[in-house]
Amino acid sequence: MAYSAEISRVNPTCFVFLVDQSASMNDPIGGDSPQRKADVVADAINRLLTELSVKCAKEEGVRDYFHVAVIGYGSSVGSAYAGSLAGRDLVPLSEVADNPARVEERVKKVPDGAGGLVETTTRFPVWMDPVANAGTPMCRALQYAESIVAKWLVDHPGCFPPIVLNLTDGESTDGDPDAPAAGIRAHASADGAALLFNLHVSAGGGEPVTFPDADGGLPDAYSRTLFNMSSVLPTDMRSYAATQGFSVSDATRGFVYNADIASIVQFLDIGTRATDLR
Amino acid sequence: MWAYVSTLSVHKDGATPEECEDAAGVVPVIESDEPTDGAVSVAVSDGASESLLAGPWARLLVESTVEAVRAKPEVLHSDSGFARVVLDAVDDWDEWLAAYIAGREAEDRPIKWYEQPGLDRGAYATLLAFHLTDVGLWHAAALGDSCLFQVRSDRLLRAFPVETAVALGTSPALLNSRNRNEGLIASKAGLANGDYEEGDQFFLGTDAIAHWFLSEVEQDDCPWEVLRDLSAIGSQEAFAKWVADERASGRMKNDDVTLVHVDLG
Repeated sequence: MAYSAEISRVNPTCFVFLVDQSASMNDPIGGDSPQRKADVVADAINRLLTELSVKCAKEEGVRDYFHVAVIGYGSSVGSAYAGSLAGRDLVPLSEVADNPARVEERVKKVPDGAGGLVETTTRFPVWMDPVANAGTPMCRALQYAESIVAKWLVDHPGCFPPIVLNLTDGESTDGDPDAPAAGIRAHASADGAALLFNLHVSAGGGEPVTFPDADGGLPDAYSRTLFNMSSVLPTDMRSYAATQGFSVSDATRGFVYNADIASIVQFLDIGTRATDLR
Repeated sequence: MWAYVSTLSVHKDGATPEECEDAAGVVPVIESDEPTDGAVSVAVSDGASESLLAGPWARLLVESTVEAVRAKPEVLHSDSGFARVVLDAVDDWDEWLAAYIAGREAEDRPIKWYEQPGLDRGAYATLLAFHLTDVGLWHAAALGDSCLFQVRSDRLLRAFPVETAVALGTSPALLNSRNRNEGLIASKAGLANGDYEEGDQFFLGTDAIAHWFLSEVEQDDCPWEVLRDLSAIGSQEAFAKWVADERASGRMKNDDVTLVHVDLG
């Protein structure tokens, strides 16, 4: 069965995050939120890297089940890591975890146990900062990701298929991204085709959408293009999504509109999941 | 009734022996080629790979459980008794964890930011506890997917708490090292009991070998034969080789494997 390869230190897979850093990312996300789209995607990347590191953490350190690249696209296309990882593409997860550019203290509200909320500080590692300038060379970014995936598969032909996650406001300025997206999905390990997922951040309004199975409810042409570029979620990921309360079908795609995508990390199986009794 | 008890274990391929997160405990402590006459208590636990300190938690659970069952076998007669055994282990864990964190500080290896959420959540593991009385009866309690099989006259008489291979997934019920909810633990625990006769075989195992065992039974095979032979050999190396062959053939998933065989033959 496809998408069933073990993800382990001897058989790791890779994650390529593509981050839109174009000038349009300076705009606010819309709705009630004053946040800029660039801040939203930078936060999303930093949270995804945090979730991956915590998921793979053991007492001796973070295990290299994944190698991770963060590629920015705007005035240029290339590594978006800040700090000591700057300039690098795929980095073993243990190195990512041990080398954030900085660790910020952020205030968040948590339940106080008596029905209210209380402010507490939490450590927030940062690997990339928000950037917004120039055009949106999404086609070039997808081709860059494809070259990383192709090279990875030469060395890891039996791995769980590589995952490319594109975070964007959807407005490609270097052509139709459909063909380069298909180029990524055309690469395969013995366990299945590479996966392409998309997070669309937009000022277009409308309800947030998480893992839809049709493009009918999406607000604009950019959303529909990104939805159609996105891979269908493999069976096991879909099953786990269902257990987490997501509404899924055989056609559910790895696509999110103006919503949190960090949960995608939890869909990946690296062993017995730590779940509480209910 | 004379019983021979042997424990076989092999770590996940690609990991080191020290990274094994399965644990098994037996009292009285006896060599596999020496029979014991009297009651036997066994506990098996499988630490969840996605949690921190799962191996130490599994080891503490089995050590605490076999001692509790040996001292008072009736704890396995009720789900509340089983839950209290777990709560005693949770109390012990707090002390163990405080010493662990102090040790890390002393080694100049303080807890990293990516470990803290896992420590806050606690460690997770299954638990299967088993007691063989000296009057022809056995009792067991379980939470999670570590399994007990009773074989009599060359057929599977009892599988507990999971009865089919397909029911063994990647999200079993697990005991959390911070869970002090006695009622919740009791409500999720399973209990079983039965009698035994001379010649009966009991196998207690973690999920990978339990899945293999049930799959073989579902194909009308007799998995206890090879396990009994491996147990009689008593060699960890021979067991590891057999597990490696089963993994290579795709019949057993790559996971830590632990088997305790109680042979009344």
